[in-house]
Amino acid sequence: MTPFKLQIITPEKTFYDGEVEQVIARTTVGDVGILRGHEPYCAALGVGQMRVMINGEFRRAATSGGIIKVSREQTTILVQTCEWAEDIDVSRANKARDAAEERRKAAVNDKELALAEAKLQRALNRIDTASFLK
Amino acid sequence: MKAIKRRIKSVGSTKQITKAMQLVASSKLRKAKARAEQARPYFNELYKTMCEIASGKNLETHFTQKREIKNRLFIVVAGDRGLAGGYNSNVMKMAVAAHKDDAVKPKIIAIGRKAAEFFSKRGYSMVAAYANIAENIKPNTAQDIADIAINMFNSGEVDEVVVFYTMFISSMSQQPQSMTVLPMTTVELEDTTEMTYDPSPEAVFNRIVPRFTASLIQCAVVESYASEQGARRTAMENATDNADAMTENLSLLYNRARQASITTEIIDIVSGASAQG
Repeated sequence: MTPFKLQIITPEKTFYDGEVEQVIARTTVGDVGILRGHEPYCAALGVGQMRVMINGEFRRAATSGGIIKVSREQTTILVQTCEWAEDIDVSRANKARDAAEERRKAAVNDKELALAEAKLQRALNRIDTASFLK
Repeated sequence: MKAIKRRIKSVGSTKQITKAMQLVASSKLRKAKARAEQARPYFNELYKTMCEIASGKNLETHFTQKREIKNRLFIVVAGDRGLAGGYNSNVMKMAVAAHKDDAVKPKIIAIGRKAAEFFSKRGYSMVAAYANIAENIKPNTAQDIADIAINMFNSGEVDEVVVFYTMFISSMSQQPQSMTVLPMTTVELEDTTEMTYDPSPEAVFNRIVPRFTASLIQCAVVESYASEQGARRTAMENATDNADAMTENLSLLYNRARQASITTEIIDIVSGASAQG
Protein backbone atom coordinates (compact mmCIF):
# COMPACT_ATOMS: atom_id res chain seq x y z
CA MET A 1 0.00 0.00 0.00
CA THR A 2 1.25 3.48 -0.77
CA PRO A 3 2.00 5.50 2.31
CA PHE A 4 0.64 8.96 3.11
CA LYS A 5 1.40 11.60 5.70
CA LEU A 6 -0.27 11.37 9.09
CA GLN A 7 -0.09 13.77 11.99
CA ILE A 8 -1.52 12.99 15.39
CA ILE A 9 -1.64 16.07 17.60
CA THR A 10 -2.66 16.21 21.26
CA PRO A 11 -2.91 19.27 23.51
CA GLU A 12 0.39 18.28 25.10
CA LYS A 13 2.50 17.49 22.07
CA THR A 14 2.65 16.29 18.51
CA PHE A 15 2.19 12.62 19.17
CA TYR A 16 3.02 11.23 15.75
CA ASP A 17 4.25 12.76 12.53
CA GLY A 18 5.20 10.48 9.67
CA GLU A 19 4.23 8.17 6.84
CA VAL A 20 1.60 5.51 7.33
CA GLU A 21 -0.23 3.13 5.01
CA GLN A 22 -3.62 3.01 6.62
CA VAL A 23 -5.61 4.50 9.49
CA ILE A 24 -8.69 2.99 11.04
CA ALA A 25 -10.40 5.27 13.53
CA ARG A 26 -13.61 5.14 15.52
CA THR A 27 -15.81 8.11 14.65
CA THR A 28 -19.05 8.97 16.37
CA VAL A 29 -20.93 7.21 13.57
CA GLY A 30 -18.72 4.15 13.12
CA ASP A 31 -15.26 3.06 12.05
CA VAL A 32 -13.61 4.67 9.06
CA GLY A 33 -10.59 3.42 7.18
CA ILE A 34 -8.38 5.94 5.42
CA LEU A 35 -6.04 5.01 2.60
CA ARG A 36 -3.96 7.21 0.35
CA GLY A 37 -6.07 9.37 -1.93
CA HIS A 38 -9.15 9.43 0.25
CA GLU A 39 -11.50 12.31 -0.51
CA PRO A 40 -11.40 15.32 1.84
CA TYR A 41 -13.26 14.17 4.88
CA CYS A 42 -13.83 15.33 8.40
CA ALA A 43 -15.51 13.59 11.33
CA ALA A 44 -15.58 13.69 15.09
CA LEU A 45 -13.94 10.86 17.02
CA GLY A 46 -15.32 9.39 20.18
CA VAL A 47 -13.51 7.56 22.94
CA GLY A 48 -12.17 4.49 21.25
CA GLN A 49 -9.34 2.69 19.58
CA MET A 50 -7.40 3.63 16.55
CA ARG A 51 -5.27 1.40 14.38
CA VAL A 52 -2.45 2.75 12.28
CA MET A 53 -0.56 0.64 9.75
CA ILE A 54 3.13 1.49 9.68
CA ASN A 55 5.44 -0.65 7.49
CA GLY A 56 2.82 -3.33 7.04
CA GLU A 57 2.04 -3.70 10.71
CA PHE A 58 -0.87 -2.37 12.67
CA ARG A 59 -0.20 -0.41 15.81
CA ARG A 60 -3.06 0.12 18.16
CA ALA A 61 -3.70 3.21 20.24
CA ALA A 62 -6.29 4.35 22.75
CA THR A 63 -7.71 7.77 22.03
CA SER A 64 -10.26 9.93 23.74
CA GLY A 65 -12.40 12.32 21.75
CA GLY A 66 -11.29 14.57 18.95
CA ILE A 67 -11.52 14.88 15.21
CA ILE A 68 -10.02 13.34 12.11
CA LYS A 69 -9.42 15.51 9.10
CA VAL A 70 -8.37 14.19 5.72
CA SER A 71 -7.14 16.64 3.13
CA ARG A 72 -5.42 16.05 -0.19
CA GLU A 73 -1.99 16.60 1.34
CA GLN A 74 -2.24 14.82 4.64
CA THR A 75 -4.39 13.36 7.36
CA THR A 76 -4.58 15.11 10.70
CA ILE A 77 -5.94 13.57 13.86
CA LEU A 78 -6.58 15.90 16.75
CA VAL A 79 -7.30 14.07 19.97
CA GLN A 80 -7.44 14.92 23.62
CA THR A 81 -5.25 11.99 24.61
CA CYS A 82 -3.50 9.30 22.61
CA GLU A 83 -1.47 6.36 23.87
CA TRP A 84 0.04 3.41 22.04
CA ALA A 85 -1.26 0.13 23.43
CA GLU A 86 2.22 -0.91 24.59
CA ASP A 87 2.65 2.35 26.55
CA ILE A 88 -0.52 1.96 28.55
CA ASP A 89 0.02 1.44 32.25
CA VAL A 90 -2.61 -1.21 32.92
CA SER A 91 -2.41 -1.08 36.69
CA ARG A 92 -2.94 2.68 36.58
CA ALA A 93 -5.86 2.26 34.21
CA ASN A 94 -7.36 -0.33 36.56
CA LYS A 95 -7.02 2.09 39.43
CA ALA A 96 -8.63 4.85 37.37
CA ARG A 97 -11.52 2.51 36.56
CA ASP A 98 -12.06 1.66 40.24
CA ALA A 99 -11.90 5.32 41.21
CA ALA A 100 -14.37 6.25 38.48
CA GLU A 101 -16.77 3.52 39.59
CA GLU A 102 -16.59 4.80 43.16
CA ARG A 103 -17.32 8.30 41.99
CA ARG A 104 -20.21 7.14 39.86
CA LYS A 105 -21.80 5.49 42.88
CA ALA A 106 -21.17 8.54 45.04
CA ALA A 107 -22.45 11.03 42.44
CA VAL A 108 -25.15 13.30 43.81
CA ASN A 109 -26.19 15.07 40.62
CA ASP A 110 -26.24 14.57 36.86
CA LYS A 111 -23.14 16.65 36.32
CA GLU A 112 -21.03 14.48 38.61
CA LEU A 113 -22.52 11.35 37.15
CA ALA A 114 -21.65 12.42 33.63
CA LEU A 115 -18.09 13.28 34.64
CA ALA A 116 -17.62 9.94 36.39
CA GLU A 117 -19.04 8.03 33.45
CA ALA A 118 -16.75 9.78 31.01
CA LYS A 119 -13.80 8.90 33.24
CA LEU A 120 -14.94 5.30 33.46
CA GLN A 121 -15.30 5.06 29.72
CA ARG A 122 -11.79 6.36 29.16
CA ALA A 123 -10.32 3.94 31.69
CA LEU A 124 -12.17 0.99 30.18
CA ASN A 125 -11.03 1.96 26.72
CA ARG A 126 -7.42 1.99 27.83
CA ILE A 127 -7.72 -1.38 29.55
CA ASP A 128 -9.39 -2.77 26.47
CA THR A 129 -6.73 -1.40 24.12
CA ALA A 130 -3.89 -2.80 26.21
CA SER A 131 -5.55 -6.23 26.34
CA PHE A 132 -5.06 -6.71 22.58
CA LEU A 133 -1.33 -7.04 23.09
CA LYS A 134 -1.49 -10.36 24.87
CA MET B 1 28.02 49.32 64.67
CA LYS B 2 26.49 46.11 65.92
CA ALA B 3 23.13 47.17 64.50
CA ILE B 4 24.60 47.77 61.04
CA LYS B 5 26.33 44.40 61.11
CA ARG B 6 23.02 42.73 61.93
CA ARG B 7 21.30 44.54 59.06
CA ILE B 8 24.00 43.42 56.62
CA LYS B 9 23.52 39.85 57.72
CA SER B 10 19.73 39.96 57.38
CA VAL B 11 19.87 41.60 53.95
CA GLY B 12 22.38 38.95 52.91
CA SER B 13 20.12 36.07 53.88
CA THR B 14 17.12 37.70 52.17
CA LYS B 15 19.24 37.99 49.07
CA GLN B 16 20.05 34.32 49.25
CA ILE B 17 16.34 33.49 49.27
CA THR B 18 15.43 35.81 46.40
CA LYS B 19 18.39 34.53 44.39
CA ALA B 20 17.25 30.95 44.91
CA MET B 21 13.69 31.83 43.92
CA GLN B 22 14.99 33.55 40.83
CA LEU B 23 16.92 30.45 39.79
CA VAL B 24 13.95 28.17 40.43
CA ALA B 25 11.71 30.47 38.40
CA SER B 26 14.19 30.52 35.51
CA SER B 27 14.31 26.76 35.25
CA LYS B 28 10.54 26.45 35.57
CA LEU B 29 10.14 29.15 32.97
CA ARG B 30 12.18 27.18 30.48
CA LYS B 31 9.96 24.13 30.92
CA ALA B 32 6.78 26.19 30.87
CA LYS B 33 7.78 27.93 27.66
CA ALA B 34 8.33 24.59 25.95
CA ARG B 35 4.91 23.39 27.14
CA ALA B 36 3.21 26.53 25.91
CA GLU B 37 4.75 26.06 22.50
CA GLN B 38 3.75 22.40 22.31
CA ALA B 39 0.16 23.24 23.18
CA ARG B 40 -0.22 25.65 20.29
CA PRO B 41 -0.40 23.38 17.20
CA TYR B 42 -3.40 21.50 18.58
CA PHE B 43 -5.23 24.70 19.38
CA ASN B 44 -4.43 26.32 16.03
CA GLU B 45 -5.42 23.26 14.05
CA LEU B 46 -8.73 22.94 15.92
CA TYR B 47 -9.53 26.58 15.40
CA LYS B 48 -8.73 26.31 11.70
CA THR B 49 -11.02 23.32 11.36
CA MET B 50 -13.87 25.14 13.08
CA CYS B 51 -13.46 28.13 10.80
CA GLU B 52 -13.37 25.83 7.79
CA ILE B 53 -16.65 24.28 8.82
CA ALA B 54 -18.26 27.62 9.46
CA SER B 55 -16.92 29.26 6.29
CA GLY B 56 -19.24 29.68 3.36
CA LYS B 57 -22.11 27.89 5.02
CA ASN B 58 -24.85 29.35 7.07
CA LEU B 59 -23.98 27.24 9.99
CA GLU B 60 -26.62 27.64 12.65
CA THR B 61 -25.71 26.29 16.01
CA HIS B 62 -26.41 27.81 19.39
CA PHE B 63 -22.67 27.92 20.06
CA THR B 64 -22.17 30.74 17.60
CA GLN B 65 -25.43 32.59 18.25
CA LYS B 66 -25.15 35.82 20.19
CA ARG B 67 -27.76 36.17 22.89
CA GLU B 68 -28.74 39.08 25.01
CA ILE B 69 -26.17 39.05 27.78
CA LYS B 70 -27.66 38.84 31.23
CA ASN B 71 -25.26 36.61 33.10
CA ARG B 72 -21.63 36.05 32.40
CA LEU B 73 -19.13 33.45 33.47
CA PHE B 74 -15.53 34.52 33.97
CA ILE B 75 -12.78 31.94 34.00
CA VAL B 76 -9.83 33.65 35.66
CA VAL B 77 -6.38 32.12 35.53
CA ALA B 78 -3.88 33.35 38.13
CA GLY B 79 -1.09 31.85 40.19
CA ASP B 80 -1.06 29.72 43.32
CA ARG B 81 1.65 31.81 44.93
CA GLY B 82 2.55 35.45 45.25
CA LEU B 83 5.94 37.12 44.94
CA ALA B 84 5.58 37.44 41.22
CA GLY B 85 5.42 41.21 40.81
CA GLY B 86 2.13 42.36 39.34
CA TYR B 87 1.29 39.02 37.76
CA ASN B 88 -1.65 38.05 39.98
CA SER B 89 -3.12 41.48 40.55
CA ASN B 90 -2.97 42.57 36.90
CA VAL B 91 -5.14 39.79 35.57
CA MET B 92 -7.65 40.12 38.42
CA LYS B 93 -7.84 43.88 38.03
CA MET B 94 -8.63 43.30 34.39
CA ALA B 95 -11.42 40.86 35.24
CA VAL B 96 -12.90 43.31 37.75
CA ALA B 97 -12.70 46.21 35.29
CA ALA B 98 -14.39 44.10 32.61
CA HIS B 99 -17.67 43.81 34.48
CA LYS B 100 -17.98 47.23 36.10
CA ASP B 101 -20.87 48.17 33.79
CA ASP B 102 -22.76 44.92 34.30
CA ALA B 103 -25.93 44.83 36.35
CA VAL B 104 -24.99 41.54 37.98
CA LYS B 105 -21.63 40.31 39.09
CA PRO B 106 -20.27 37.52 36.90
CA LYS B 107 -20.00 33.97 38.09
CA ILE B 108 -16.42 32.86 38.56
CA ILE B 109 -14.36 29.79 37.88
CA ALA B 110 -11.02 30.43 39.53
CA ILE B 111 -7.86 28.67 38.45
CA GLY B 112 -5.02 29.22 40.90
CA ARG B 113 -5.26 29.76 44.64
CA LYS B 114 -4.70 33.52 44.41
CA ALA B 115 -7.68 33.95 42.08
CA ALA B 116 -9.87 31.77 44.33
CA GLU B 117 -8.98 33.83 47.41
CA PHE B 118 -9.46 37.12 45.63
CA PHE B 119 -12.94 36.44 44.27
CA SER B 120 -14.39 34.48 47.16
CA LYS B 121 -13.31 37.25 49.56
CA ARG B 122 -15.18 39.80 47.46
CA GLY B 123 -18.44 37.91 47.44
CA TYR B 124 -18.55 36.64 43.88
CA SER B 125 -20.52 33.51 43.24
CA MET B 126 -17.92 30.82 42.74
CA VAL B 127 -18.78 27.99 40.39
CA ALA B 128 -15.54 26.15 40.93
CA ALA B 129 -12.00 26.79 42.12
CA TYR B 130 -8.86 24.91 41.26
CA ALA B 131 -5.50 25.17 42.97
CA ASN B 132 -2.13 23.68 42.14
CA ILE B 133 -3.10 22.48 38.69
CA ALA B 134 -1.28 25.04 36.57
CA GLU B 135 2.18 23.53 36.63
CA ASN B 136 1.05 20.21 35.25
CA ILE B 137 -2.41 20.65 33.78
CA LYS B 138 -3.78 17.52 32.11
CA PRO B 139 -6.05 17.70 29.07
CA ASN B 140 -8.73 15.87 31.04
CA THR B 141 -8.70 18.53 33.76
CA ALA B 142 -9.07 21.23 31.15
CA GLN B 143 -11.94 19.23 29.68
CA ASP B 144 -13.69 19.04 33.06
CA ILE B 145 -13.52 22.82 33.39
CA ALA B 146 -14.70 23.28 29.81
CA ASP B 147 -17.63 20.92 30.38
CA ILE B 148 -18.81 22.95 33.37
CA ALA B 149 -18.69 26.13 31.30
CA ILE B 150 -20.46 24.56 28.33
CA ASN B 151 -23.19 23.07 30.49
CA MET B 152 -23.86 26.46 32.01
CA PHE B 153 -23.95 28.04 28.58
CA ASN B 154 -26.24 25.35 27.18
CA SER B 155 -28.68 25.57 30.05
CA GLY B 156 -28.91 29.34 29.69
CA GLU B 157 -27.46 29.93 33.13
CA VAL B 158 -24.90 32.19 31.50
CA ASP B 159 -24.96 33.90 28.11
CA GLU B 160 -21.27 34.50 27.69
CA VAL B 161 -18.08 32.81 28.85
CA VAL B 162 -14.88 34.85 29.02
CA VAL B 163 -11.41 33.61 29.90
CA PHE B 164 -8.91 35.94 31.57
CA TYR B 165 -5.30 34.90 31.41
CA THR B 166 -1.82 36.34 31.02
CA MET B 167 -0.22 36.15 27.63
CA PHE B 168 3.45 35.34 27.55
CA ILE B 169 5.16 37.80 25.22
CA SER B 170 8.72 37.36 26.44
CA SER B 171 10.50 36.59 29.68
CA MET B 172 10.47 40.30 30.43
CA SER B 173 6.96 41.17 29.36
CA GLN B 174 3.60 39.54 30.08
CA GLN B 175 0.22 40.94 29.16
CA PRO B 176 -3.14 40.15 30.77
CA GLN B 177 -5.71 39.22 28.14
CA SER B 178 -9.36 38.34 27.87
CA MET B 179 -10.96 36.07 25.33
CA THR B 180 -14.60 35.29 24.74
CA VAL B 181 -15.03 31.54 24.38
CA LEU B 182 -18.76 31.26 24.08
CA PRO B 183 -20.54 32.22 21.95
CA MET B 184 -17.86 31.34 19.44
CA THR B 185 -16.61 33.66 16.79
CA THR B 186 -15.16 32.17 13.66
CA VAL B 187 -13.43 33.88 10.77
CA GLU B 188 -14.27 33.26 7.13
CA LEU B 189 -11.63 31.33 5.25
CA GLU B 190 -11.09 31.24 1.53
CA ASP B 191 -11.44 27.54 1.24
CA THR B 192 -12.06 25.89 -2.08
CA THR B 193 -11.82 22.21 -1.26
CA GLU B 194 -15.08 20.49 -0.59
CA MET B 195 -14.97 18.49 2.61
CA THR B 196 -17.30 15.69 3.40
CA TYR B 197 -18.50 16.03 6.94
CA ASP B 198 -19.62 12.89 8.65
CA PRO B 199 -22.45 12.92 9.58
CA SER B 200 -23.01 16.68 9.03
CA PRO B 201 -21.08 19.96 9.40
CA GLU B 202 -23.23 20.99 12.34
CA ALA B 203 -22.72 17.68 14.13
CA VAL B 204 -18.97 17.80 13.69
CA PHE B 205 -18.90 21.45 14.72
CA ASN B 206 -20.88 20.81 17.87
CA ARG B 207 -18.60 17.93 18.74
CA ILE B 208 -15.53 20.09 18.35
CA VAL B 209 -16.77 22.96 20.53
CA PRO B 210 -16.09 21.16 23.86
CA ARG B 211 -12.65 20.07 22.64
CA PHE B 212 -11.88 23.56 21.48
CA THR B 213 -13.01 25.12 24.73
CA ALA B 214 -10.85 22.66 26.67
CA SER B 215 -7.91 23.38 24.43
CA LEU B 216 -8.36 27.09 24.90
CA ILE B 217 -8.39 26.67 28.67
CA GLN B 218 -5.34 24.44 28.50
CA CYS B 219 -3.50 27.01 26.40
CA ALA B 220 -4.56 29.86 28.68
CA VAL B 221 -3.29 27.95 31.71
CA VAL B 222 0.10 26.96 30.30
CA GLU B 223 0.56 30.42 28.85
CA SER B 224 -0.28 32.03 32.20
CA TYR B 225 2.02 29.66 34.01
CA ALA B 226 4.92 30.63 31.79
CA SER B 227 4.04 34.28 32.42
CA GLU B 228 3.95 33.69 36.16
CA GLN B 229 7.44 32.23 36.12
CA GLY B 230 8.69 35.07 33.93
CA ALA B 231 7.16 37.67 36.22
CA ARG B 232 8.55 35.98 39.30
CA ARG B 233 12.00 35.75 37.82
CA THR B 234 12.01 39.47 37.00
CA ALA B 235 10.65 40.38 40.45
CA MET B 236 13.23 38.26 42.19
CA GLU B 237 16.01 39.55 40.00
CA ASN B 238 15.10 43.10 41.06
CA ALA B 239 14.93 42.04 44.69
CA THR B 240 18.39 40.47 44.45
CA ASP B 241 19.78 43.62 42.82
CA ASN B 242 18.22 45.76 45.55
CA ALA B 243 19.73 43.56 48.21
CA ASP B 244 23.11 43.95 46.55
CA ALA B 245 22.81 47.72 46.52
CA MET B 246 21.70 47.73 50.16
CA THR B 247 24.59 45.55 51.28
CA GLU B 248 26.97 47.87 49.51
CA ASN B 249 25.55 50.96 51.24
CA LEU B 250 25.48 49.25 54.59
CA SER B 251 29.07 48.03 54.38
CA LEU B 252 30.14 51.55 53.48
CA LEU B 253 28.37 52.83 56.59
CA TYR B 254 29.86 50.03 58.64
CA ASN B 255 33.41 50.71 57.47
CA ARG B 256 33.02 54.40 58.14
CA ALA B 257 31.79 53.71 61.67
CA ARG B 258 34.61 51.28 62.24
CA GLN B 259 37.19 53.77 61.04
CA ALA B 260 35.69 56.50 63.21
CA SER B 261 35.88 54.30 66.29
CA ILE B 262 39.52 53.34 65.54
CA THR B 263 40.44 56.99 65.10
CA THR B 264 38.84 57.89 68.44
CA GLU B 265 40.74 55.10 70.11
CA ILE B 266 44.07 56.26 68.66
CA ILE B 267 43.39 59.83 69.72
CA ASP B 268 42.62 58.55 73.21
CA ILE B 269 45.89 56.62 73.38
CA VAL B 270 48.01 59.38 71.90
CA SER B 271 46.55 62.06 74.12
CA GLY B 272 46.95 59.75 77.14
CA ALA B 273 50.61 59.09 76.23
CA SER B 274 51.44 62.77 75.69
CA ALA B 275 49.82 63.70 78.99
CA GLN B 276 52.10 61.22 80.78
CA GLY B 277 55.29 62.11 78.86
